[in-house]
Amino acid sequence: MTPPAAPSLALAPTFDLERVLASIDRMSAQRPVAAHIVAQTNSEQASARELSRILAADVALASRVMKLANSAFYGMRGRVTSLQFAVTVVGFATVRTMATVALTDLDDESRLPEDFWEVSTSLALAASTLAPRFAERPQDALCLGLLAQLGVALLHHNDPVGYAELWAEDRSFAGRRSGEVQRYGISALRLTSVALEQWSFPPGMVVPLKQVDDPGSFQGALLRAAFEIAARLTDDGHQEIPIEAVSCGQLRERDVVGVLDQVRLDAEELRAAMLD
Amino acid sequence: MAARSRMTNEHQASPEIVAAVFHAASISDTMAILTVEAVGRTLRVSWSNDKAVQLLGYARDDLRALPVDQLLPSLAAGELKLLLRRERSARMTLPVRTATGASVECVVAAAPAPAGRLWTLRLFSTATETERALRATADAHERRFATLTERSPVPTLLSEQGMRLAHVNDAFCALVGLQAEELLGTGWMTTVHPDDLDAVIEEAAAVLGGGGEVGEGEATARLVRADGTERTTVIRFSHLFTPGVGAGFVGTIEDITERMAFEARLAHQANHDPLTGLPNRTLLAQHVAERFRPGDGQLACIFLDLDNFKVVNDSLGHAAGDQLLVELARRLRTTVRPGDLVARFGGDEFVVVCQAVVEADAVALAERIAEALRRPVSLGGVEVRPAASVGVTVQTAEHTAAEELIRDCDIAMYQAKAAGKGRITVLDSDARAQARDKLRLVAELREAIDRREITLMYQPIFSTEDGTAVAVESLARWQHPVRGAITPSTFVPLAEESGLVSGLGLLVLDETCRQLAEWDQELGMAAPARANVNVSALQLDANLRGHVESALRRHGLHPCRLSIEITESALMKDPATARRVLLELRDLGVQVSIDDFGTGYSSLAYLRHLPVDCLKVDRSFVAELADGHSEITSAVIALASSLGLCTVAEGVETLEQAAELARLGATYLQGFSLAAPLTGDDAAAWFAAQHAMEA
Repeated sequence: MTPPAAPSLALAPTFDLERVLASIDRMSAQRPVAAHIVAQTNSEQASARELSRILAADVALASRVMKLANSAFYGMRGRVTSLQFAVTVVGFATVRTMATVALTDLDDESRLPEDFWEVSTSLALAASTLAPRFAERPQDALCLGLLAQLGVALLHHNDPVGYAELWAEDRSFAGRRSGEVQRYGISALRLTSVALEQWSFPPGMVVPLKQVDDPGSFQGALLRAAFEIAARLTDDGHQEIPIEAVSCGQLRERDVVGVLDQVRLDAEELRAAMLD
Repeated sequence: MAARSRMTNEHQASPEIVAAVFHAASISDTMAILTVEAVGRTLRVSWSNDKAVQLLGYARDDLRALPVDQLLPSLAAGELKLLLRRERSARMTLPVRTATGASVECVVAAAPAPAGRLWTLRLFSTATETERALRATADAHERRFATLTERSPVPTLLSEQGMRLAHVNDAFCALVGLQAEELLGTGWMTTVHPDDLDAVIEEAAAVLGGGGEVGEGEATARLVRADGTERTTVIRFSHLFTPGVGAGFVGTIEDITERMAFEARLAHQANHDPLTGLPNRTLLAQHVAERFRPGDGQLACIFLDLDNFKVVNDSLGHAAGDQLLVELARRLRTTVRPGDLVARFGGDEFVVVCQAVVEADAVALAERIAEALRRPVSLGGVEVRPAASVGVTVQTAEHTAAEELIRDCDIAMYQAKAAGKGRITVLDSDARAQARDKLRLVAELREAIDRREITLMYQPIFSTEDGTAVAVESLARWQHPVRGAITPSTFVPLAEESGLVSGLGLLVLDETCRQLAEWDQELGMAAPARANVNVSALQLDANLRGHVESALRRHGLHPCRLSIEITESALMKDPATARRVLLELRDLGVQVSIDDFGTGYSSLAYLRHLPVDCLKVDRSFVAELADGHSEITSAVIALASSLGLCTVAEGVETLEQAAELARLGATYLQGFSLAAPLTGDDAAAWFAAQHAMEA
């Protein structure tokens, strides 16, 4: 596809990127506690006590954090009995990710494309599991995976019918990204990166989203590999792409077998902890 | 409305302020500023400050009118809109292309002008030299730490979130035999034995939840290796807080499998007999104590003592004896029921403990055991037919402590042995009552000795030369408050069995000396010249001289006032020691007599070398005189005479006997017909009267 010379040419007539981006700001007003947590930009100094104090004001969000902390994913077997402890167990980035999920209505599956969370949890778990091979922290990779498709949700919220068609039409990663650019002038992942950058998420979460499309980019490699694994797990008709190619040679096919099993095992548990 | 108007005014700065701010911006050396305008359908740089020119390396004129997409090549077509927004500021971290074609990573902040066609861009380079150096140092630290952990021989886990591991080192992978990928996340938890997992999580949760002093903990857990084998480990957790991330832990693992096995071996050795491998006395006591419930009546003990084991040891050697014990231990193990305990109690003693049995079952088992033991054993070509005396006790309501059970079956075994070996005896209530009575008596004897309730009687000893009383023999008496008089033939052996003989001996020695001193004071020349004190075989040791010496000193007596009487059989138990002790006594100046002479098996040759002054002719030989048999008495007196020893004839019952003994040459006489044993006071009166008569 030939890139359009000017931004306005790429946008579908019904789609106003400005409006989508503005909608991110409006969301804060509806979920002030979640917005407050998302705005805890300087998480280096955030304490579990402070974060849990803020979190306690949003009962739904707090109970999800508690539930997640006690899920099999963290292996704590119900020993997390205080919100503050839950925050330390799941980690600050995860709390912030869950706040972002709440803030952007990602927890309302009725407003999302079909199998959105199946893909997102698989993506998150694959990224988290593979993170050490890319010298990344599993926790950050998990959050990146959970939020990577935030742009998909934003596009779907703004154009439910159009995006649902696009989503159904092509299940491949490349196909969907290409369809998104064609229709909206921007890919969903790029949109995610804009949103996360706007909320001052660390570059470690933003850069991979920007570079995931560049097959030569090492910084996008973990997320690319995670998308490939998620596709293998969630899309029966997926045309496999060699893992060496998408991972900048970091992974071999034999490395993936165990990861597939582990991700398959944990995905539903994580989805339930995040949403139910 | 008023507030709004004030805000508007505040934003409408005066031209002077605008000029000042613009000037400052244009010469700023910290912030690169550009303005971007839409020119037709292209967005171009319209103005830049000095810092922007310096940062981007373009000539100011070249920079002006430069298309923005050339400055920000990473923003794909259409994506400029994400940065240059109409209604709000936006900020992105982007590579900015300089004039040389190199990229500088910058945070680009774009603010739209109210008209919507012009934006101000501020560029901040994200990496200064200092920051880069710091990051490089931090990275180097991180790498060093990673290398250290990776190559450390100590299995190490690193969690950054709850129980989820972010890292395991090679040593841990080797310990459990799995790849790191299989262990990361919660995968490692599958290697913890299911029975130990809760304790591990509990400890880890406590460490995760607290910093400071409570930030450490440890759990003992078995790790199940990939091949199914188990390793016992101690996992030590330390709290790990990563700013901006949350709480995790560092876990180090110590494999204590070998240590545990060693300790188990030591414990086994401490509780088992090395020869037969059977539990020893310690474990037996523990086993019975753990199972004993007073009044429950469920336990039975069978005590076995091999008959004539000493014969095997002495005739075939200790190796053969050991071989026999090993073989019998094996037979015992194979004969008892599953769950019964077989212990080696002592040298040739074994105990079997059974649970949930009645007396008939225990006896049946004892019979089976005795039968199994009786089968011949070949020891170095010699066929031996082992046999055992067996005592059986079944728990009754009377048993209040576990050790009573073992003690009772020991008693039963002794009864079996006393009844003629190779027998099985069940301890009945009479025997138990007797045994308990004996125990009570021992306790009472101990008290009687402590309270000096053992009293002494003194029987005069006469010289045959002139018929005068020259000495006394101290005779211990126990007047029990309930049982009445208890004879020395009962309480002396009891004292010897129960370790009280030393106390009893000291009491007799001291009291005799005290009495002698009192008589000296009271009677002067009329006091007995000497007192004979009996000493048990068990007192014949290196301490005896000291005890005698101190008693004499305590009461101010010369050693010649005492004669120590020792039975012939006591001397022959350990002749070498006896000789040494007697020499010490003689050196002290004390006389030494052999009591009951002729009843034992003394070697006459040996007798010659013993430092003895006197032989006491046993009363049984003296009694024979009445029947006209004077041979032995005569021979003993002659023997003493030939060795230069004096003699005391005991048990002189008649004056005729006395006359006959004097005729045979006995030096001294002692007997009821001559003088009965007297209390200290009566003896004083008696000696005073004698002295008066002599005068």
